[in-house]
Amino acid sequence: MSDEPALELVDVDGGYGEVQVLEDLSLQLEAGEIVCLIGPNGAGKSTALKTAFGLLTPWTGSVRYHGEDISGTAPEEVVRKGIGYVPQTDNVFGSLSLDENLRMGGVAREDDRLETVVEELYDRFGILREKRGAKARELSGGQRQVLAFARALVTEPDVLLIDEPSAGLAPNTADEVFADVEAVNAMDTAILMVEQNATKGLEISDRGYVLDQGTVAYEGDADGLLDDPEVSELYLGG
Amino acid sequence: MAVLGLLADGLVFSSIIVLGSIGLSLVYGIADFANFAHGDTMTVGAYAALVTFGGLSGVGGPSLLGLPAAFFLALAAGFVVAALVAVVTEKLVYEPLDIGAIGLLITSIGVAFIYRGLVRIVFTAESTRYDVQSIRPIEALVPYGVRVTYHDVAIVITSVVLVGSLHALLQYTDLGRKMRAMADNPELARISGIRTDRIRLVTWTVGGGLAGVGGTFLGLFNRLSPRMGFNLLLLVFAAVILGGIGSVYGAMLGGLLIGVVHESMPLLSGLGGLLPLVPDTLGIPVGIEYAEAVAFVIMVAVLLVRPTGIAGEGT
Repeated sequence: MSDEPALELVDVDGGYGEVQVLEDLSLQLEAGEIVCLIGPNGAGKSTALKTAFGLLTPWTGSVRYHGEDISGTAPEEVVRKGIGYVPQTDNVFGSLSLDENLRMGGVAREDDRLETVVEELYDRFGILREKRGAKARELSGGQRQVLAFARALVTEPDVLLIDEPSAGLAPNTADEVFADVEAVNAMDTAILMVEQNATKGLEISDRGYVLDQGTVAYEGDADGLLDDPEVSELYLGG
Repeated sequence: MAVLGLLADGLVFSSIIVLGSIGLSLVYGIADFANFAHGDTMTVGAYAALVTFGGLSGVGGPSLLGLPAAFFLALAAGFVVAALVAVVTEKLVYEPLDIGAIGLLITSIGVAFIYRGLVRIVFTAESTRYDVQSIRPIEALVPYGVRVTYHDVAIVITSVVLVGSLHALLQYTDLGRKMRAMADNPELARISGIRTDRIRLVTWTVGGGLAGVGGTFLGLFNRLSPRMGFNLLLLVFAAVILGGIGSVYGAMLGGLLIGVVHESMPLLSGLGGLLPLVPDTLGIPVGIEYAEAVAFVIMVAVLLVRPTGIAGEGT
């Protein structure tokens, strides 16, 4: 493997239809780290993830995965390269059973290890094994988020993009989800995460980017950002 | 005993409605628009079967349930041609258009006129029938007031086999799971790595094919005419909406219910005789020509109680 970052956005302009959201956005995710994107609503955090995953095509600039330009590659092919994505909402197949959700997560696998990997995920997330036959829509918010992670992990990605993992969860449940994020990272999965609870997000991250109006306003070590009086004042709610 | 007879007729008609409903619901679930050309896809299947059956008239072989072997080949041709027409239409018309669900719906009305027009050009507006020997109702059942022929039995059995096969496909195969996943959440399907273009084509194939079989049977049940599928389309829509649009199993249930209601109309005028504690002379005097209206009244009544349909999941 080269010295290139695991995932990189280079000078990206982009958005939805005619509406520009990202402006000259550049960011990197190194192998094995957790990076958190924070910033106000509409700053382009989720748009950056969608662009990285191919759900949106950058207007200019590029998306690179280990140095390979994957700009404009369709999501169903991006996932085959080794990137996983957990959307903020609608992130499970509600009418499918948990087991079927995991099997759908493994569609992109081209080897015969699907069964093994699914069993490993059941071992790690015991609650899923317990409810494997249940429909995903019957799960609680926290359980649903665990399933959403697990679905994205069946391909054993080395880069995982997570959009607002704690959104809509009770504080206790959110803490459990953050612990899961760290556990996933511990298996050599680099994580690029958007999180509206900026303090919590940065606490489990190695580095962070503060996005404002589609571009990077601040960047640095997570601890440094948490201690930065200006970042704290403007983006962490004092 | 009239009840049994009407239920039997209802079951036969329901089988045809169910075959139409499934495709309409499948396509709605995945392509996300109400396909008004679906009824005429049934017509296309029926005429494809007519041509194939005519071409095979010299072919002998055993007959089954009063139908020569060639008819079952014609049935297969109805499936294949209708599926092919649906897929080609998707590729040439719907897929290149980027105009949203309403735009596609209106486009599909145009497509329906094109199918019907082509059928009329080739086969004229006159109705016709398959060159199959008419047969008498099954003697053993007549004393029970049930007047069904072996042809009717063939319609029901074939439909049950097809619906059962579709159920097995959807529940127990990887392809079926992908189809359900895509109907559930198309974006997450792509995120998971499902190549949704292929699944769309499979869906059009299955939906169009079943419509073709339904159309072929409709021709056997009544006669063939260029308007046959379109005339059935409103009932098919009623079935799909009643069942919960986008739900395949809802379409099956809705189709069964609408078909039985449609054929059970005579019961309404003799209602008093069927119910205890009600004078025999009491009834709802509605002629069978209002069967479709009554089917829709039932649909509206169910939707008032369950707005998402019987098997619908809401949003």
